[in-house]
This record gives sequence, structure tokens and C-alpha cells, in this order.
Amino acid sequence: MTANSGLAILVMAAIAVALGYLGVPVTFALMASVFVVVVLFTHLSLASMVGQLFNGVNTLTLLAVPFFLLVGELMVSANITVRIIAFAQALVGHLRSGLAQVVSVFSLFFAGISGSSTADVVAISTVLMPEMKREGYDPAFTAALIASASTIANMVPPSILAVVYGSVGNVSIAGLFLAGATPGVLVAIGLMVYSYYFGPVGVRKGRATFVDLAGTLKNAALPLLIPFIIVGGILTGQFTPVEAGMVAVIYVLVVLLPLYGRGHFRQLPRSFMHAGALYALPLMAVASASAFGWVLAYLRGPDTVAGWVEHVAGSNGVGIMFLIVAILVIVGDFLEGIPAIIIFMPLILALVKLGHIQPVHMGVVIIVTLAFGNITPPYGLQLLLASALAKVAWSRALVACLPLYLIFFAVIALIIVIPEVTLWLPRWLFPQSLGCFMNAVTHTLVCPPTS
Amino acid sequence: MIVSETQRHLKWRAFDPLEHVLMAACGLCLLGFTLSEFADVLARLLHHPLASAQEFSTGFFIWGVFLGGAVAVRRDTNFRIGAISDTWNGLPRLIAELVKRTVMLAVSVVLTVFGYLNFLHGFGSYMTPSETPIAVLYAAIPVSGLLIGLFVIEGLICGLRNGFDTVELNDVERAIAASVAVDQPGA
Repeated sequence: MTANSGLAILVMAAIAVALGYLGVPVTFALMASVFVVVVLFTHLSLASMVGQLFNGVNTLTLLAVPFFLLVGELMVSANITVRIIAFAQALVGHLRSGLAQVVSVFSLFFAGISGSSTADVVAISTVLMPEMKREGYDPAFTAALIASASTIANMVPPSILAVVYGSVGNVSIAGLFLAGATPGVLVAIGLMVYSYYFGPVGVRKGRATFVDLAGTLKNAALPLLIPFIIVGGILTGQFTPVEAGMVAVIYVLVVLLPLYGRGHFRQLPRSFMHAGALYALPLMAVASASAFGWVLAYLRGPDTVAGWVEHVAGSNGVGIMFLIVAILVIVGDFLEGIPAIIIFMPLILALVKLGHIQPVHMGVVIIVTLAFGNITPPYGLQLLLASALAKVAWSRALVACLPLYLIFFAVIALIIVIPEVTLWLPRWLFPQSLGCFMNAVTHTLVCPPTS
Repeated sequence: MIVSETQRHLKWRAFDPLEHVLMAACGLCLLGFTLSEFADVLARLLHHPLASAQEFSTGFFIWGVFLGGAVAVRRDTNFRIGAISDTWNGLPRLIAELVKRTVMLAVSVVLTVFGYLNFLHGFGSYMTPSETPIAVLYAAIPVSGLLIGLFVIEGLICGLRNGFDTVELNDVERAIAASVAVDQPGA
């Protein structure tokens, strides 16, 4: 890298951050920084950069993003989520800090239906927040818990971050879906344990009878089938991730709405209009971030950072992953997860090669880290949203959230140090996603070594 | 109400029908690629694969992204980092808003001009198997750039007339507005 390209990278980053903090939307801040650097420091044409914006979204797998968003929005707007909440309540509502336990369990279930953590926060806040207030839960704790639990949507399939990571990094999306399930469950368990020991007691309720439990399960069974349709369809080779998303949408429209939300049909055109406008937001960020990432790679930025990482951590996979987590925790404080993935993808690919890291393993570590960014200041959007809905000062919600950070740190450390925590599920159900293949002679599965 | 009422003081009522049309176009794009994906899977299951289904899906998707990106400027629903200028008042706020909107306007000009050049080049490349010029997809960028420019100028002129620092949505309000719009269509 020449001194000139180093300066160009610094100027590009500085312009993007400065404009971002001035209030320019992230998409425009990234585009402006790219255009300025291309004109001042390179011989590239602006037309090629505009073409790069197009290439950024002209990827078939990204079509899954609007489908998974739409499923979540339809479920929330047609009020079908209430059935899942009732089931979660029957399942764990009797435990100490019962409603807090319900938040964690519901978020885990809902994460399997929608890839949107915002939809999760809205769904749970509308139904459970008033009840939690009545039972004397501290609104700051409520906001912190709901925001933290909503991040599970980014880990558990159908995670939108996994779709973007897989399509940009050429990593198996099915593998990322399966590998992300365990960290999601671990975060949910961590939140439940924390609520049990340190959360408000709440109003103790009796354990639901078997009949009640079976009744709520029956009511929630059809919505809860969605994750099985999505993951099952992909694993059995029936659908691609995009088609699985489409099938989930059709399932909601053809099965769930006629059964549980018939009145919502009249609102469907509006839902489509709003969801149509909504999905453009992350994808415009994808377009601009891909141009930004492309210029960064052109200026050999990833090689420089990879060289620095090699200097600090050697070629040790675990050390490299801890370093990239540290970088992304800082970056995730300022940048939304999707642009962060795209901008850093060239660097991530360089580090995967350097540390001989299993790409699916690296992907899940990065996705969990960026999901954590949803509750860290200053751009912790889910914490901001939950604190606004709980009508509590954001600073109070942040203080209540600090102990919950430990759960995320523990989960991230665990999945880095013990790759099998994430890789056992894809290795068991879909080994091809990890690069394994069947030895024609011995008829055994041959897998590449993991870091 | 489809047209967003947020930041009313920065909008002309005359542009409301345009926002309405763009929202409808976004909905149609989403519906369009949902149906074309559905038709693709269905036809494949019936052993009569539709060769052009992916082209339709991609077309609806690309147009949906860029039209949605344009309408997000008027609805002020774009992702932002917490803007420090939101807390400013008076002259500093005016300067910050002018810089912000000038940057967005400059980006929209680049998108329009160079997007148009790409559009012209696009007549030399074709999508397979229909052999439709890829310019059909490239056209989404200059159209989006033009609309973004229009909405930025609208906000700029209205802001200079009515002031910028009356109501500025923060990230939370933007996210709530976006979510609530879906949950409660009347909102």
C-alpha cells in the first residue's frame, strides 16, 4: 500500500464518519466518501462506482431479505404473535421473574420466524410491556431485556445478517443458519438465568396445567411451523434460501391470515406498500457499503489491516477472531450490521485465509458480534427503540443493560474458543455447508480441519 | 394514510401524490417478485421451469430497492448514526442542515448523471435468456437519483422558509415511525 492509498483510506473513513455524525443518512455518507476519494485519489470513473452500487444489490440471494422482513411484519401487524406469546407464557410464565422469562423464550421463537429484531421489539413491547409495568418490573430492566433478547433474531435462522454475510462472502447460508442457532439459544438461556437470579420477582403464577400448555401449543403450532418450513426446505434441497423466504410469505398469506387474521386482508395492500419501502433501507445500505468496500479493497486496505493483525496475533485463528471481534465491537457501535459486514468482508476473507478459519465459524462469530452492536451505544438501535417504547431514559436502560453485556461476551468467547459449539449442528445436519464431502471409496465424510 | 406526516414542515403538499405513487410502486415491486419467485418454484415442481422468472424477480427487486431508497428520503426513514446536529439550534443548525442536504444533493446528481451514462451503456449488454437489455435495470439508478434530488430540494426550500430546527426525528422515532406504519396502517 502506498502512502497515497493510506491517506485515501483515512480521508474516506473520516468523511463517512463526519457526515454520519452530522446527520447525513449512512447510505449517503458512504456514497459521498466514495465519490470524493475516487475523484481525488484514483483514476477510476464515477460511472464505475455507480455501477458498483448496482452490483452490490444485483445478487440473487439478497432477495431473501425482503421475504424474511415481510414475514415478520405480517405476523406482527396481523397480531398472530400473540399466540406465540401465550404459549411462551404457559411454558415459562410460572418461573421467578416470569414475564422476563417469557420475553426471552418468545424472542427465541419469534427469531425463528422473522429475521428482524425491530419487529421483535415492537411485537413484544406492544403486548408484554404494559403487563410488565403492572407487575412492577423496572422499565429500564424491561427495555434492556427486550432489546437484548431481540438480538437473537440476528443469530437464529432466518437471520438477515446471515443472508447478507453468506451472499457477499460466498459462504453457505444454510450453514450459517444452522451454526447460528446454538449461540441464539445460549443468549436466550443466559438472559433467562440472569432474569431468574437478578431480575424482579414479578407476580408468581401457578404452573400451567398440561391441558393449558397443550391448548396454547395448539394455537401457536401453525405459526411455529415457519422455522421448520424455512430450514427444512433448505436442508432437504427443496428450496434455496430465497425460495424458502417466499414459501414462508405464501404460508402466512394462504394459511395463517385466513385462519387467524382474516380482517387483515383488507390491510394487505398497505402492508405490502410499507414493507416494500422498508426493505429498501437495508438494501440501499448494502449498495453503498459494497461500493465503499470495493474502493477499500482497491486501495489494499484489507491487506494492510490483515498484515497488522498478523503482526499482533500471528496466524493463530483464535487470536485473529478475538482481534476482529474487538474491531467489530468498536465498529458496530457506529455502523449498522449490514454495511459493516459488506465493508469488512474483504478483510474478513483475508483473515479467514491467514488463520485457516472455517468460514462458517468466522461468519457466526461476526454475526453474533454485530448483533451485540444493536444494544451498545451510541448506535444501539434496539436499545434506543425499546427504551423509547418503555418510556424510560435511554441512559437508564443502558445502565440496566450493562450486566447483560457479560452474557454476550461469554457467548462470543465460548464460540471462538470452542468452534464445535457452533459447528456441531451444520456438521450433523448439513456437512456439505462446511466443505465436507463423501469419500467415494471409504464412504465416510471427509471434512477440512477447523481452526 | 399512506403519505408520511413526519416533518410536514419540510414537505410540499403538491408532492404528496408522488410519494403515494412511489409507495404503491414499492408495494407492487414486492408483490411482483414474490409472485415471480412463487411462479418459478411452482413451475419447477410441475416440471415446466420458467426460464425468465429470475429476470422478473431481479427486475422487481432492483427497482424496489432504488425507488424505496428515494421515497425514504422524503419519509426520512433512512438509517442514521445519532446526529449531533439534531440537538443544535439557530445558525449552527442551519449550517449543518445546509451541509447535510447539499451532500445528499451532490450524491443525487452523481447518481443521476453517471447512472444515466451506465443506462446508455446498458443497451449493449443483455440479460439471459430473454435478451432484454440490462439498461432496463440500470435505469432504476438515474430515476432514483432524480427523485432523491427532487425530495432534497423540496426539503431544502421548505427548511429555508419554515426553519429546520422545529421537529427533527431521532433514530428511535424514525424506527418507531417505520414499524408503526406497518403495524397500524392508519398511522
